[in-house]
Amino acid sequence: MKRRCGFLAVVLAPLLLAGFLAPYPYAEQHREHPYVPPTAVHFIRARPFVQEDGHLYPLRLFPGNGRLFGVDPPAVVFLLGSDAYGRDVFSRLLYGGRLSLATGLLATLLSLALGLAAGVVAGYFGGWWDGLLMRGGELAMALPWLYLLLAVRAVLPLHISTLDSFLVSTAIIGAVGWVRPARLIRGVVLSGKERGFVLAARGFGAGHGYLIRRHLLPLTAGVAGTQATLLIPQFMLAEMALSFLGLGVGEPVPSWGGMLNEARQYHALLLHGWLLAPGLAAIPVLLAFLLVADAWLFRRSE
Amino acid sequence: MLIFRYFAPVLLVLSAAAYGQPGDAFIVSGIAGRSGGTLVFAQRNEPKSLNPAVAADSASREVMHRINADLIHINRETQLTEPALAKSWTVSSDGLHYVLNLRKGVRFSDGHSFDADDVVFSFRVYLDEKVLSPQRDLLLLEGKPIAVRKLDAYRVAFDLPGPYAAAERLFDGFVILPRHILERPYLDGKLAEAWGVRSPADQVVGLGPFRLKQFVPGQRVVLERNPYYWKLDKEGTRLPYLSEVDFVFAGSEDMQVMRFQTGESDVISRPSARNFAVLQKEGERRGYTLKDAGPGLEYSVLFFNLNDSPAAGNAPFHRESFRRAVSLAIDRDAIVRLVYQGRAAALSTPVPPGDKAWVNDKLPRIVRSIPQAKQLLSADGFSWAPGGSLLDPAGKPVEFSIVTSAGNSERVQMATLIADDLKPLGIAVHVTPLDFASLLNRVFQTHDYEACLLSLSEADADPNTDMAVLLSSAGNHLWQPEQKTPATPWEAEIDGLMRRQMVTRNRVQRKQLFDRVQAIVMDKLPMIPLVSPYILVGARNDLGNFRPALLDHYALWNIEELYWRGGRD
Amino acid sequence: MKYAGRRLLHGAGLLVAVSVLSFLLAQVAPGDFYSQWRGDPRISTATVAALRAQSGMARPLPVRYGAWMAGILRGDFGYSLAYRSPVAPLLKERIVATLLLTGCATLFAWLIAIPLGIWSATRTGMWGDRLSTAATSLLLAIPDLVLAIALLLLAVQTGWFPTGGKESRGYSRMGPVQQLRDLAWHMALPVAVLVLGLAPVLVRHVRAAMLETLDAPFALSARAQGIPRRRLLFRHLLPAALNPLVSLCGVSLGTLLSASLLVEVAMGWPGLGPLFLEAVMARDFAVVLAVVMLSAVFLVLGNLAADLVLYRIDPRIRTVDG
Repeated sequence: MKRRCGFLAVVLAPLLLAGFLAPYPYAEQHREHPYVPPTAVHFIRARPFVQEDGHLYPLRLFPGNGRLFGVDPPAVVFLLGSDAYGRDVFSRLLYGGRLSLATGLLATLLSLALGLAAGVVAGYFGGWWDGLLMRGGELAMALPWLYLLLAVRAVLPLHISTLDSFLVSTAIIGAVGWVRPARLIRGVVLSGKERGFVLAARGFGAGHGYLIRRHLLPLTAGVAGTQATLLIPQFMLAEMALSFLGLGVGEPVPSWGGMLNEARQYHALLLHGWLLAPGLAAIPVLLAFLLVADAWLFRRSE
Repeated sequence: MLIFRYFAPVLLVLSAAAYGQPGDAFIVSGIAGRSGGTLVFAQRNEPKSLNPAVAADSASREVMHRINADLIHINRETQLTEPALAKSWTVSSDGLHYVLNLRKGVRFSDGHSFDADDVVFSFRVYLDEKVLSPQRDLLLLEGKPIAVRKLDAYRVAFDLPGPYAAAERLFDGFVILPRHILERPYLDGKLAEAWGVRSPADQVVGLGPFRLKQFVPGQRVVLERNPYYWKLDKEGTRLPYLSEVDFVFAGSEDMQVMRFQTGESDVISRPSARNFAVLQKEGERRGYTLKDAGPGLEYSVLFFNLNDSPAAGNAPFHRESFRRAVSLAIDRDAIVRLVYQGRAAALSTPVPPGDKAWVNDKLPRIVRSIPQAKQLLSADGFSWAPGGSLLDPAGKPVEFSIVTSAGNSERVQMATLIADDLKPLGIAVHVTPLDFASLLNRVFQTHDYEACLLSLSEADADPNTDMAVLLSSAGNHLWQPEQKTPATPWEAEIDGLMRRQMVTRNRVQRKQLFDRVQAIVMDKLPMIPLVSPYILVGARNDLGNFRPALLDHYALWNIEELYWRGGRD
Repeated sequence: MKYAGRRLLHGAGLLVAVSVLSFLLAQVAPGDFYSQWRGDPRISTATVAALRAQSGMARPLPVRYGAWMAGILRGDFGYSLAYRSPVAPLLKERIVATLLLTGCATLFAWLIAIPLGIWSATRTGMWGDRLSTAATSLLLAIPDLVLAIALLLLAVQTGWFPTGGKESRGYSRMGPVQQLRDLAWHMALPVAVLVLGLAPVLVRHVRAAMLETLDAPFALSARAQGIPRRRLLFRHLLPAALNPLVSLCGVSLGTLLSASLLVEVAMGWPGLGPLFLEAVMARDFAVVLAVVMLSAVFLVLGNLAADLVLYRIDPRIRTVDG
């Protein structure tokens, strides 16, 4: 467990330290260097150099701008290549990760909380509540949300600040995403409440609150944990769809979803494969979350 | 994308002799080819209807124009009018009365013969106020309709309500409908529903080189050779050469490109510059040739919201100095290089360079200059806060959003570059991509936006094209549509100049008038011209007579002449 | 089957609610079908206004809703302004194509997920489970749309698969065996994308559900009694783990019409996806509403089926509702 949390910390640290680790601001355009493949770093007598126009420029540690490393212009160092505007993909990856991760976690938390509440109430109280909540869920799944999103976009101001758009995205994703966990949790609660130990506890006069807290919620942990590990990656990259509606953070602020949106174009995949970096970066992050969630579930069942 | 119709100013009276061959066939000038074979063309979307009177989407038009023909056609290569179903025409001296002599012995694709009744019927449909054809407004000059009269079985008269330069170019695109098929649904009020994507193939009848064979919804339209087509080649072979044309619906531009690359499609029309670069890598190995036809008639503009709505109010962009400074700060060469990989031309006038005859080339090329831009701003009372951000004369920081269509990555990229370009002026610019319907709704309906980046496209080179944007009363007067009276003296002046050029017959005088219009627009900059992309196309190596045009239907405009050099199944 | 009857009634109520709310949502979305025409300089504002009036979209909302509902009851799903045609005939082939795709993909995904999930649950902490965890998280991290383009790239480079489409040219002239082969060849990539997207989700659920039951007292005692492993797994543990899986299966069934919309667009599959998304963007509301209503019907039926199965297999639930 400790080791896994450590792994998670190691994976997340670079994102939190983006301002220090990234060699460039995320929006800085180097228009002379569009779609440059990852910069080759040459080691000469164990010291790193990058080449530019046939000259070698030393890669400096602490170049004095508050960043970890950098290189003097006109040389550039793009560890993961550059995009259409000559922006450093590595820097954008680090900055964008923070936002995407925050969106993913917060939206997952929101939809799980809603799902848990709805699922437990529907499963435990059954009858009228069950009908209302589950049909409500079906309603939420069936509606053409796209139109609501377009309408939301129309009433919001033309320019939405990054923080606002982050909150809006999170709220939207969370509000639509609660249904599936709710249904699964309801199923578990439905059968769990008739189990021997729950019936027994009820027989002893335990209140609803006590029963739910002590006996039913623990039963849902498996489903909820699994859902969390599934929702985080989905929600992290949800920006992909939202940016199309003008609801994402938008240029030039980076997000992994937005960056992948660019990478999924045919020309990018074929000629500029390094643009897929955010997709690859998401893998260790998710793996770390999965491992921690697994360990947590395992500990609980012990 | 906005599409402009055009009316060019060439007045020609053609004699019947030049084209009147036995059976009144039209003889094409291209290389004589071999008959047979199938051409596959992957287009993005499915046509919504094959009905010329109601279809408005480009996918429908692309297919529709292969199975239909018009009276007078604009040759996409020479950009001049040429006789089509009308083998000749005469114009009265006042330019108000046209008499078109129809080709004799021409048959529809079902074998039924064609005459003046079909022409009169077709224009009755196009002008009908209940059918509401999207093309109807083109037949109204200053709100009054063109009158159509049958003189005899092969002569039709068209009377214009007022003078109009080069009115014969109006006929292009008005395809002739078969009265014997469509009159019944028309009289029943069901014309709009006729020839939908589920109509039986033998009911869809036209005068074009091909006819409908099969429509597989969502997948493909198969056209077969029209055995009655009225064009012959130099050797007397009846056109078209191809026995089938297969339009497949790829779904997206990327899929179009992939299908062309793998040989599942034989022709590609206008891929993005980036995809063009992808295709270039493998052309030799895959057996196709790509062509860069140079700047076309499409161009992008940045315009500001000059409506007097609360959103705009006293915004700095109501000041000419501000708009000039913005234009000066935009790095058009960077747009050309980064967005279009060099396959576009930077603009210094609101007329695309493909429109060679009408571009005002005395207007200076715009060279990016931040110092000059700053000078313009400070001379007009703008100042800079200690942090470097621009303050308007009232002392408010200057900030605006550019809305553009989210579905078009090139436009979003242009806006992103512009936002970066304006940073040195201390202007905070935000890029707001929106879906196209929302965008148009803001620009034309609610006027709730600050600046907008759009593309305009002209179908040909003629000032009349620009009336729909430049006239202050026009619905597409982008920055402030549908003005009751011109809001500014310079808009009034443009109105006057445009109206005068419309009725002026002398081409040199027209050019002078239009040059003046361009100069005014570049001085007042209600819209800031950016770049004009090049027309990019490609085809298999063995496709004969493939000659891409700068006008609409870039690749397939001469489909009747296309043939497979080696023969093909 | 009072329960099923009551649920069907609820379902009908739900469909009405979906239709009302969808109508409202369509109303609040900016722009309408003719907004795009407004951007075409060939068409005057007067013509656009006349078209709007002709289409009846200016009538008050309740009137339009009433007319639409009356149409539905007659089996008429409305009129598409883009296609100038009633909606119902536009949908037929599209629904078949979509169901074919999602049906196959869902089936394959479950066929992979159940054994893999069980296998991985019995090996927690061992390399096999770790490998499967790593593989599923890898797949979860790659969005469907990126996967779609990557597979298409593979098709272009190798020529093993067609780049999009459902049938080859001349499909109608083929024999039944050839037709089947052609169809399978075209379906391979889109199905692969859907399976690769669906299966990891299912694997993780099956694994979690199995883990839960593996630790249950009855499983421990059964194991102690020496019941053979295979029999224990499939006869005793799997049924006990079914509960969340049945709910999930209901969701799978319920989303048959909607699960593949984006993948269809990305891979050029002529199902409901391209039609629906184009209609959404063009504000061709009749098509949008028809697809939304059909998906809602599927959703209601899928969840109903899941609940009925739950009700049957889990005696503990039956005691409450009966």
